[in-house]
This record gives sequence, structure tokens and C-alpha cells, in this order.
Amino acid sequence: MNIPASWRILAAAALCALGGSAFADLAVLGGRVYAMTDPEPLAEATVLIADGRIEAIGPDLEVPFDYRQIDARGKIVTPGFIESHSQLGIVEISAEETTVDMAVSEYPLGPAFNVRYALNPASSLFAVNRMDGLTRAMVAPRPGVDPLAGFGALVRLGGGTALVQPEAALFGQVGASAAAFTGGSRAALLQRLIDAFDEAARFSPGRYEPTGADYSRQDMAALKAFLRSGKPLVLEVNRASDILRCVELAQARDLDLILLGGAEAWQVRERLAAAGVKVIVNVHSNLPRSFETLGARMDNAALLRSAGVEVLFTAGNSHNARNLRQLAGNAVAEGMPWHDALEALTRKAALAWGMSDVGILRPGAAADLVVWSGDPLELTSWADQVIIDGQLMPMRSRQTRLFERYKDLKRPYGYH
Amino acid sequence: MLAAGAVLLALTAAAQDREPYESTYQPRPAADFLIGPVNLLTGAGERLEDVEVLVRQGRIAAVGRSLPRVDVQVFPAQGKWLTPGIIDVHSHLGTYPSPAVRSTSDGNEATDPNTAQVWVEHSVWPQDPQFGHALAGGVTTLHILPGSANLFGGRGVTLKNVPARTVQDMKFPGAPQSLKMACGENPKRVYGENKRAPSTRMGNMAGYRAAWAKAQAYREKQRAHADGDAESPPDRNLQLDTLAAVLDGEILVHNHCYRADEMATMMDLAREFGYRITAFHHAVESYKIADLLAKADICSAMWADWWGFKLEAFDTISQNVALVEAAGACAIVHSDSAQDIQRLNQEAAKALAAARRVGMELSETQAIAWITKNAATALGIADRTGSVEVGKAADLALWNRNPFSIYARAEKVWIDGHLYYDREDPARRPVRDFDLEQTVPGSAP
Repeated sequence: MNIPASWRILAAAALCALGGSAFADLAVLGGRVYAMTDPEPLAEATVLIADGRIEAIGPDLEVPFDYRQIDARGKIVTPGFIESHSQLGIVEISAEETTVDMAVSEYPLGPAFNVRYALNPASSLFAVNRMDGLTRAMVAPRPGVDPLAGFGALVRLGGGTALVQPEAALFGQVGASAAAFTGGSRAALLQRLIDAFDEAARFSPGRYEPTGADYSRQDMAALKAFLRSGKPLVLEVNRASDILRCVELAQARDLDLILLGGAEAWQVRERLAAAGVKVIVNVHSNLPRSFETLGARMDNAALLRSAGVEVLFTAGNSHNARNLRQLAGNAVAEGMPWHDALEALTRKAALAWGMSDVGILRPGAAADLVVWSGDPLELTSWADQVIIDGQLMPMRSRQTRLFERYKDLKRPYGYH
Repeated sequence: MLAAGAVLLALTAAAQDREPYESTYQPRPAADFLIGPVNLLTGAGERLEDVEVLVRQGRIAAVGRSLPRVDVQVFPAQGKWLTPGIIDVHSHLGTYPSPAVRSTSDGNEATDPNTAQVWVEHSVWPQDPQFGHALAGGVTTLHILPGSANLFGGRGVTLKNVPARTVQDMKFPGAPQSLKMACGENPKRVYGENKRAPSTRMGNMAGYRAAWAKAQAYREKQRAHADGDAESPPDRNLQLDTLAAVLDGEILVHNHCYRADEMATMMDLAREFGYRITAFHHAVESYKIADLLAKADICSAMWADWWGFKLEAFDTISQNVALVEAAGACAIVHSDSAQDIQRLNQEAAKALAAARRVGMELSETQAIAWITKNAATALGIADRTGSVEVGKAADLALWNRNPFSIYARAEKVWIDGHLYYDREDPARRPVRDFDLEQTVPGSAP
């Protein structure tokens, strides 16, 4: 856009006066920039940001006088991190059901469940996670009464409207827990899924007469819309044999399958690579907690990646989705290449969820980026500054306010 | 009659050669060895680069440079880091084992608000594969507690993290037992939902006070009998035995308590009945009363960042551990998790970084104590383990790089000088019975 610089200053000043975060054009100066366009970083590079987008990137860029300057010298700059499976904005206090909207119980709603209607961008979880470099997330429903839990939505953790894309993927579950919804057997569970997708493909509301445990018209309409959308089907599944059944189900219907969990995915990694199936890995899930995760191991992500399977990450904990970088770091310690792990947190996650201009720092891309004090996968580093869609995020949360309030116990209590 | 009784007792003792439930732990053979040059965090406040540590007969024999290398195996470790073995003061391994199925769920006797009579060691399944994972994370000692459904959950036990057929073979010799108490949401939820007391926090308090009052009376009767003032002792009561032993200082109180105001009330409860609280666990609000905790000499066992899973965990801050440390109180990082016990070094790293992020000056020597020395202190075993000092047990973890790095892995782990884990040697990784042909890498189906 060709807006005179003086106007932009006025506009920025006006926004500041209104109490919004500084919405000026930005220059992030002198950092080591991992743009995710190339494994090699740009040393001492500058990122120019205008109107919420990356304007230019490189060394020796001339910085327009009216750009607000962010000093990143000696620091590391990456795209903002993306959590590929969370309940951000649909849970506040897990044990307080009045604050939890992630699933239904005793209410007949399956694939038509849609998290977009429950999303609460004022949730305290947004700021806590944003402060540690998380800028976008998939918000997914949890199975409550049906193996197909419903539609998830992509959100951003600041910078404007939280809802980036509703109906971004359909979520479901295959395994022992989900089998409880279908009489207690995987056999019935898989049959239900096969029937549902086949019915949905030829679904017509006027000719559909559901009986018994059949999906409602509403659910079938949602499934049909999903089949036409080409969006990913995300199935939470861990046992190797269950994974193969899911792959067969998806391949027969040409669905874009993404596995969630995939504790034993490494055992069938060649099949997954051949089928182009991605896996959202919780790196820390390395224990035989159930009979469907006996093969769980810490180097699952490394083994999958080395076989050519696309790996995404989840921290498996919405409150601490900020620990995503810890899981990525542990994947690296167990053999995954460092840059692959960084890609899984950024570019690969963005592409898997259909965000082509996110997770990459190149002209025209969304200006989601983080200035880190050091290696972002090291827990001894922290996010110095987070920028979402070109806006400087306040490095503040309810937790930082509590720290300020209690860091000096000698101050009179109660008014700061 | 008396003589016959004494003979019978002696015979019984000879037949069993030990007290019931006593530890049968035996250190495994340990060759003398020397690690070095290596970077050392002693756990006792020192950070030494390029030093040597000599282990003889399972104990630290010397720390220094140019130590005699006669008849010792040498582990060169240039650029690597040695720490005391990690100690977790809050674990449920063996009682909530893997696989976590109905058959194995043995951690919470949630049938009455007071189950001070149960001993968690009677639930521990030594075949839990999770012990081996914790060992790979450098954990040499762990404290197993009953769950938090009850006001009084029962007795806890301190274990050596060794593969064993019986829990007695894992028991840390001479370590005091603990009493698990729980504040707040859990007891009032578990019993309140069933229309039983307690259903409120004041109900929790009334429950503790009634139990301690009974324990005091029981103890008076025991004493009167011991002093010859009463003909017979009180009828034996397993529940009151536990509480009386707390009043006598033989059992240490480990108190699950999140909120600062509740901790302060529990401190008053301890004053009323004359017992000592050793540590508050899950103490997410310790930072709000760090001064009071320092003054009362009560440890806080904390997570680095867990929050929001219930309302009493809503006020977590990342600087909790640091603020407790800075106040001069005893700070411990605990896991309460079969996952996080595998990387308590990373949890400590997070707490350290959170402090530095806001400009607090804390050191690695302080941070390592959160998961070693301070934990040993809270378990009453700091005279034997928890630091690399001459005379202490050679409970050691050798890391391939600085243990506060995400990329660090424990390469070797020793307990009483025996090498129990070697990342480079598959034959030196413990395998539980359950693991066989199940969790070990197998072929694709």
C-alpha cells in the first residue's frame, strides 16, 4: 500500500492513544533469522514489517525512519510457533465444567459439533502461551459421545480476531476409548466410521431417515460438507494395527489423513510415508500407559521423520501449549534434525492446516514472528518479543501480574 | 512368662532376621572407579570444572584433581557433567504404573477421608516399567506417596530406583516413612460429592483436628503404659499408630496443599497439635507466603509450570520456585508424573530460566539442589545421598552436556556405586518383566 509515511505515523499514534498495542510498521534488526525458506539462517538480518505482513527481509536493508525498531542483535528470530492440537479458548479451568466446552456428554452430537461457536479469545490461556512464542493453534474438539468429535478451528493468539479459520479439520478417535462409544469393540467402531463416510457421500436430507444409533441429519450434513471440503481428517490413534485400519479407511476415500498421537506409528512408518499420512506427535508420550501404546518411545518423531513422514507437534496440554518447544527439543535430542523440528513447529504445521502464508518469513507472508534470547528449543532461552500479524504483543499475562504483585512481600498488600 | 516371651521374640527374630516390612535392599557389587576430568555440580553449592570424583566401596571417596588412579576403573568425561542422582519427592510410580488399567490402579484408598493406616509400599508394583524410564532420566531415589483423595492418605515410602523382585528390596534403608496429607479441592470433592464430610475446606480442617485430637489421646495412653502408669496399652489402632508416630517425630508430614492461605492454616494446625510439616507439595502459591515458609523452615515441592487444571492451580507463576529460593526457604522441584520424572533437570531449567527472564540472579548450583540436595533433606536422607561430597553414597548421574540443556541426556547412572544404567549399552538398561516381548522394539504387525 502506498500510504504516505506521515499518515501512518498519525494512524499508529491514534491507535496507541486508543490503548491498542502498537500497530506501527516494524523493523526487527540484526537477528539471526530462521526464515524457513532455507535451512541456513540469515545472519544479522533485518525483517521489515508493514501493514501486518513481511515487507522485506535480508542484511543491510534500509530502515524507513518511521518504522519502530526492535533490536534483535545477538538474538534468534523465527516464525511464531504453531500448536497442532489444543483446546485453547474452549477450556479455562479443566476441573470446572462451566468453563469447559471441548466435548458434549449425554447429548447426541457427533461430527456436527463445531468448536467455533464456543471459542473464547479472552481466555487467560492465550496470553500465557503467547508470551512463550506460540502464535497460532489448532483448536480441536474432544470425543464425548461419538468417535467423530467434530470440527476444529484455527486460531491466532493475538493481533485481532482470534478465529482464523473455522472448520479447518474434522477430528475423531480410533482405539479403546472410542470403542466405548460403539458397544465396546474396535470392530464396531471401524464399521461405524466406514458406514458413516459412505452414507455421507450419498447423503440427501430429504431421503435420510435415521433410526437407532444412526447419525442425525445434522451430523450427516456436516460429514458430507467435510467430504467435499478436502480438509484433513485427524484421527487420534496409537496402536499400529489401528493405524493401518485408519490409513485404509482414508486411502479408500482419498481423505487427507493426519494421525494424532501415533504412539506406534514408527512401527508402520514406511506405510505412512507411502500414503502421505502426517503424524501429530506428543514427544513425551513414551510410556506403555495402555495396551495400545506398548510400543511408545521417545524417538518416535525422529524415526518417522527419517522415513520421510511429515511430523507435527502437540504439547498435549492447552494450558502449557507453551511447552511445545520443549517437546521439539527433546525430539532433537532423540535424533530428529534441529531444522526439521523447527519446521514442524512453523512451516510444516502451517501447510498441514492450509495456511500458506504463515510459518515462513518472506515478503507477503503474515508477520508472525518471535525474537528469542537464544536457541528457541533450549529451555534456558525465552521469547523476548512476540509479533502477530505485524502487531507487537504485550509481554504480559495474568501470571506476570501475579509475579509483580508478590515479588516483594514487604510492600503493603492489596493495591498493586 | 516374661522370659518365655523374650525367648519367643528372639526365636522369631532369628527366624526372620529382620523386622516385618523392613528394607532388604542390598547394594550390588561396585568396583572402585574414577570419573574425570568432568564438570561437577555437587548439589551442595559448588560448581567445579574439570575435576575428578573417586568412588570407593560405593561411596564418594574424594573430589579433586590428580587423584590416585590405583586399582580403579577410569571414566574420562571431558566436557560432560556429573550431578548427584536426581531425587523425586513426589512420585506415584508402582502405584499408578504402566499399563494404567483398572487392575493396576493402587494409588488412592479413596474410601474414607482418613486412611492414615494404609502404607503405600503395600501397593507398589516393582515391575512398573516406568521405574526404568525414570532411571534413564537420572533418578536414583524416589518418594512414593498415596494419592490426595483423603485428608490423611497414608504412609509414603522412599525407594532406591533399582530393579527388584520385591518392594522391600527397593526400600531406602533407614529412610523415615512419611504421612501424606491433602488440603483443598480433592478431599472435599471426593467426599462432598457423596454427601459425606468433608464437603468444604472448613470440613477438611474439622477432619484433621478431630483425628489429631484422637491421636494425642492415644499417645497419652501409650505413654502412660510405657511409664507404668497404666496396666495395659490402648487397643492397637493402625490409623492412630501413624498419627502418633508423626507426633513423636518419627514420620515426616508431606502435605499436598496448593493455596497460600490454606498452607498458613495448615501451619496453625501443626502448631495446635505439636507436629512439624516437612514439606508442602504442589505448592503453587508458595511465592505468596515465601517469608512465612522460610521462617517455619518448611520445604515447598513445586512444579515448574503446571497450572489451570483446577482452580486452586490457577495462580501458578513461572517464578514460584525462584521466589521461594530467594526468600531463603527450601525449594524443591517435583514431578508427580511418570513423564516429568524422566526430565526433572528440564523442569529445573525452566524454573531457572523464568527467574533469569525477570532479572533474578539464580545459579545452576541452586537449581541442581532443587532436584537433589533439597529433596534429600525433605526425605530425611541428606546425610546419605543428594550431594557429591566425601562419605556420601555414590548415587550419580553423568550427563553428556550441561544438564540444564534440553539436549542433555543422562549417559550413566550409578546407585551406591553400581552402574545401573548406561545409555550406550543396551545390556545396562533395566528391563521389567512386563517389558518382555511387549515394550521392547519389535516387528511391525
